[in-house]
Amino acid sequence: MAKYLRILLTVLVVVAAIFAGRWVWNDYMHSPWTRDGRIRADIVTVAPDVSGWVTNLNITNDQAVKEGDLLFSVDQKRYQAAFNQSKANTENALYSWQLAKHKYERRTALLSQKAISAEDLESSRISTEIAKANYDLAVAQQATAQLNLDRTQVHAPVSGHIINLNLRQGNYVGQGASVFAIVQSDSFYVTGYFEETKIPLVHLNQQAKITLLSGGKPLTGHVVSIGKAIANTNTQSNGQLLPQVQQTFNWVRLSQRIPVDIKLDPLAEETQLSAGMTATIHLTKR
Amino acid sequence: MLHVVVFGGLEFSPLVIYFPIAFLLAALTRFALHRLDWHDRIWRVAWFEVSLFVCYLALTVYLLGGR
Repeated sequence: MAKYLRILLTVLVVVAAIFAGRWVWNDYMHSPWTRDGRIRADIVTVAPDVSGWVTNLNITNDQAVKEGDLLFSVDQKRYQAAFNQSKANTENALYSWQLAKHKYERRTALLSQKAISAEDLESSRISTEIAKANYDLAVAQQATAQLNLDRTQVHAPVSGHIINLNLRQGNYVGQGASVFAIVQSDSFYVTGYFEETKIPLVHLNQQAKITLLSGGKPLTGHVVSIGKAIANTNTQSNGQLLPQVQQTFNWVRLSQRIPVDIKLDPLAEETQLSAGMTATIHLTKR
Repeated sequence: MLHVVVFGGLEFSPLVIYFPIAFLLAALTRFALHRLDWHDRIWRVAWFEVSLFVCYLALTVYLLGGR
């Protein structure tokens, strides 16, 4: 009897170990969690719409700005001169149009007295139309000049924090070339790179618990999107656009990582988040 | 509630902590069995001890993992 008890005890412990080991394996390998998570935010790059020297820089690095705040100014002189030229051109075109109109009206009166040919009158009418078109063109050019002049003042497109400001007063900035970025306020979210084997366990609106590498109280959120495509690093196109497929002879294939975006619940005031921070993400099981 | 172990800016799997804890518990059990002289009463001691280690590991993961 004692012998059977000895055997039974060991067998029980071995069976318990099999179940416990299986649970640990499943917990690690088949639960929707990842240590490969990153805090991200909406980044808006700021680029001037006109070229020129920076004459006035109103911001410092990491400064908080509100939407519409003046960030910096580009030298106005050239754009002011262009605007003045356009304005004068518009006035010129206006007077030309008025003169042509006046001539046409006078010639219309002359026709009744048979003092002008129909052809001359038609020519006069067309000249009036040309003068009007020239005036419309000058008005449009003036609007463009006004727009360029206005765009010498660069305003914040969104509220947020200035990032990576290397711009200094006196620098020359080019049209369309980004000079710094703004991290949009309250736009922080988390992207978790889940192994493809775990993707069937991830669902939209699934609750998430996010632990930052920096520690502190875990953050919460929910899944808002699951990435629908990632790049294939195994295939490229050659000069003839034929696929160049790398030969693989691997015993072990690594599962791909699929990005899953998680929207954060409203954060506590003291929570310090920076885009790029490392996070561990656990999703609740269904 | 141990999800990651951070040491000197490096992030480790919590198994780095769980394994030594389970090992320590298994060693303590072995020590206690020797002291109580029950060691001889167990059939296939090696099987028993390895299985006990796995059970301790699962228990540690369950308790410290916050599940």
